[in-house]
Amino acid sequence: MDAGKEEIRIGVFICRCGFNIGGVIDVPIVTEYAKTLPHVVFAEEGLYTCSSAGLDSIKKQIEKFRLNRVIVASCTPATHEPLFQKTCEEAGLNKYLFEMANIREQCSWVHMHLPKEATEKAKDLLRMAVAKASYLEPLTEMEIDITPSALVIGGGIAGITAARSLATQGFQVHLVDKEAELGGMLKHLHTLQPTGREASQVLREAIIAVKSNNNIHLHMSTSIHEVSGFIGNFDVTLQTKNSDQPEHIKVGTIIVATGAEEFKPVGMYGYKENQNVITQLEFEQLLRKRELKKPGKVVMIQCVGAREKTGRTYCSRICCQVAINNALHLKKLDPSIEVTILFRDMQTYGENEHLYKEAMENSVNFIRYDLNKPPKVTSGRDRDLIVTVYDTCLGAEIELESDLIVLSAPLIQHEDGRRLSSILKVPLGADGFFFEVHPKLRPVDFASEGIYVCGTAHGPKNIVESLAQAYAAASKASIPMAAKKIKSGAVKASVDQEICVNCDACVVSCVFNAIEASPFGLPKIIEANCKGCGVCASECPMGAMQLKQFKDDQIIAAIEALFKYETCIEQVGSFKPVILCFACQWCSYAAADLAGVSRIQYPPNVRVLRVPCSGRVDVLHVLRAFQSGADGVIITGCLIGDCHYIDGNVKAKDRVDVMKKCLGSLGIDPRRLEIGFASSSEGQKFAAMITGFVDVIKQLGPSPSRPKLGGEVCTR
Amino acid sequence: MKRELARHINLFEFSAKEVAAKTKPGQFVILRIDEDGERIPLTIANADEQKGTIAVACHEVGRTTTQLGRLKEGDSVSDLLGPLGKPARIEKYGTVLCVGGGVMVAPLHFQAQAFREAGNNVIGVVGATTKDHLIFLDEMETTCNELFVATDDGTKGYKGMDFLSDLLKEKKIDRVVAEGPIVMMKTVSDLTRQHGIPTIVNLIPIMVDGMGMCGACRVTVGEKTLFACVDGLEFDGHQVDFDELLARMKMYTTQEKIAYVFSEEEGRN
Repeated sequence: MDAGKEEIRIGVFICRCGFNIGGVIDVPIVTEYAKTLPHVVFAEEGLYTCSSAGLDSIKKQIEKFRLNRVIVASCTPATHEPLFQKTCEEAGLNKYLFEMANIREQCSWVHMHLPKEATEKAKDLLRMAVAKASYLEPLTEMEIDITPSALVIGGGIAGITAARSLATQGFQVHLVDKEAELGGMLKHLHTLQPTGREASQVLREAIIAVKSNNNIHLHMSTSIHEVSGFIGNFDVTLQTKNSDQPEHIKVGTIIVATGAEEFKPVGMYGYKENQNVITQLEFEQLLRKRELKKPGKVVMIQCVGAREKTGRTYCSRICCQVAINNALHLKKLDPSIEVTILFRDMQTYGENEHLYKEAMENSVNFIRYDLNKPPKVTSGRDRDLIVTVYDTCLGAEIELESDLIVLSAPLIQHEDGRRLSSILKVPLGADGFFFEVHPKLRPVDFASEGIYVCGTAHGPKNIVESLAQAYAAASKASIPMAAKKIKSGAVKASVDQEICVNCDACVVSCVFNAIEASPFGLPKIIEANCKGCGVCASECPMGAMQLKQFKDDQIIAAIEALFKYETCIEQVGSFKPVILCFACQWCSYAAADLAGVSRIQYPPNVRVLRVPCSGRVDVLHVLRAFQSGADGVIITGCLIGDCHYIDGNVKAKDRVDVMKKCLGSLGIDPRRLEIGFASSSEGQKFAAMITGFVDVIKQLGPSPSRPKLGGEVCTR
Repeated sequence: MKRELARHINLFEFSAKEVAAKTKPGQFVILRIDEDGERIPLTIANADEQKGTIAVACHEVGRTTTQLGRLKEGDSVSDLLGPLGKPARIEKYGTVLCVGGGVMVAPLHFQAQAFREAGNNVIGVVGATTKDHLIFLDEMETTCNELFVATDDGTKGYKGMDFLSDLLKEKKIDRVVAEGPIVMMKTVSDLTRQHGIPTIVNLIPIMVDGMGMCGACRVTVGEKTLFACVDGLEFDGHQVDFDELLARMKMYTTQEKIAYVFSEEEGRN
């Protein structure tokens, strides 16, 4: 059905919600008012529109009045929109031709003692919905087929575990490693805690399991050359060493398990200058190969090149456990070996605390040093080494003789990891490790769908933690592959080639890699990657990029409708500001709803317009609001750091900061524009934000651009 | 003189005798439309010493370029400074491949002419997003010994840049000069790197003074940080950090949009 071309016929259904709406808002007046709005051919009120009688009525009227747009004015779309959309679909109407006006959570419940104002606000909200509805377009939802195979990059214990988990579930797995043999870091380790088992034994069993699994395809001595495509359909080019022909494979999901490497602290504490100064990893290799010449006195230094003031500021997490484990091993070899650990802070969480205690009981010495007074290593007589350290507990400098110094250096990202980050277009964090999209909500996921991370590629962790994460990544990857298809919604970016000036602003603005740059500048939208935030549309200088369902003309229609007062001289003299609030559909809209559910009362001057993300609010939208007569505009988004599109709210804030500087040139006081952030649990904060902003606007007085009536500024 | 080359792309000829007398291909000017105006750098697309004119092509992509596009024949701009930057290195190399994209085909043509005059066999590539945005086709056809056309959407000529890798295999090319969108120059450089062909890209990043003072136009080339205005516009395409350049170009997207939208709205009222 091409609703764009036929006559627009809007049906409006206003819900009393029993006493919830009907007890405050004069529903018959609003219903009569609805009938006067453009394109509205039908309006009725109902006691409960979401009841089966209410839904039946919607279906009946769609047919009877040939409605091609439906509006329900009732509660929040967060809970009831899917139900009404389904009803529309059952009556043969595309569900994207449905619009909702929230006159309960954001009206009757928050203005319980102001029935007149609440009724006026309900009329405004309805008028906005009707205006937007006239511009709605039918949309088709996208379905993506998922190739049931995975690429696991990295054949260390994390990669092996993830690959085995997926292969056991029946998926084809391509396990790729740059080295000739599986095992990663485990190949170099001696024993593993907490079990104390030999790493080689653990690894041997894992490798046998991998090799005997027919669903796992091994690609050794192989690197990732190129990756294109999107979830379900990644095209990967593999390059195997000494092979001319690159190999192409197609996979549905990708797991990054590329591990990390040990920092080599060249130039610190005599490392690489004296052969008796080695790292913990090198020490483990000696143990593993049984090549350790039994030392008499060993000094281990912790935090070598880690937890620095700048640069590697992070804690590598595993070094304390490793040092204690190795110290205990020395003591088991020969209790007479003197072992001293110079530490800044011991971090032995969980089980490791028992080992710490055991080490102390086995007379391993622990000496605390200070970052500002690090130990010094000098050569003593007879080729031994002298470590001078300022003991912060003693408050004095002490000298330790030693014939072996073991440095605990942090894990760091390696060159291949950095290269992979740019090939996959997934981010690295400040510490250089792969950076997940959300630490709590999506801890093994990247923003790009279908790509997951586990193991030390994501940051230093011990084997227990690596395994847990590997299982998590495998289980996340298996979800779309088991489903075989995923729905990808219809709210996607689209570009008008005619208007596009090929500046690539959209390409740069998209954090989901959903817009690819073509050589000559034509943006190519990868719909499967598009999450529908609309940031690209707001960054597009020309308005060529648009977000379906939230296009500029749709949003502006709602904005302009708000300020079209029919009865605007009711109360000349007493200033009642009209304020537009853009609320992102996630946290800030939910906070507004919560304010309603909690019956927190706030001034009735604000009209909320729902947008996908605060980052979708365009300069043009704000400007049009002011030009149409808004006394104030407030944009609300999720808390900084909690944006559902990573940093849309940061972009919104940047935009507001710049706009504030420019509004003056149009004669608009910059204080009339504000941005605020609230989590979905902060109803109180949302109400306080609105109340505060209304106060500011009241002090500023009516906007100079308000519609004028008979020479007098209309104050409604 | 003003000539529409494509929708929102115009060629302007300015009378600027002193500038014209000194201009060499590869150089640029900075102009300001009025006293409050923004200074914008534009690469020179032609210079006629006898007529005392220089030509620039401009794509309307924001506030100032749109304002410039609205100028009519006979109008003038407040000031025009140049020629700035180093002239392109024009020598006899043998076969020179000139790859141009979008509005930058116009200044590239200026270079292509010089390469031809220096006795080179010149192969040209004219590219744009779509058929209607192709400019200077006739001029390039006349100047080059051989011409290829490409568009992103394939509405004319080759679709995208893939054809270039075959071209590089088939022909013996001694030097490549690319001028156009950053992504295009990056694509070209990546392709020629595999064949070891010296590749020059013409970079014109965000600039302020254009004389090496402010550092706004810095580009990372190999280990070095260089200024496009005084060290360029020519750089070794195999050494340029294009990703950084692209990010730097988008540093003021918000401000640019506000400036554009506000000026359009001011004009509306």
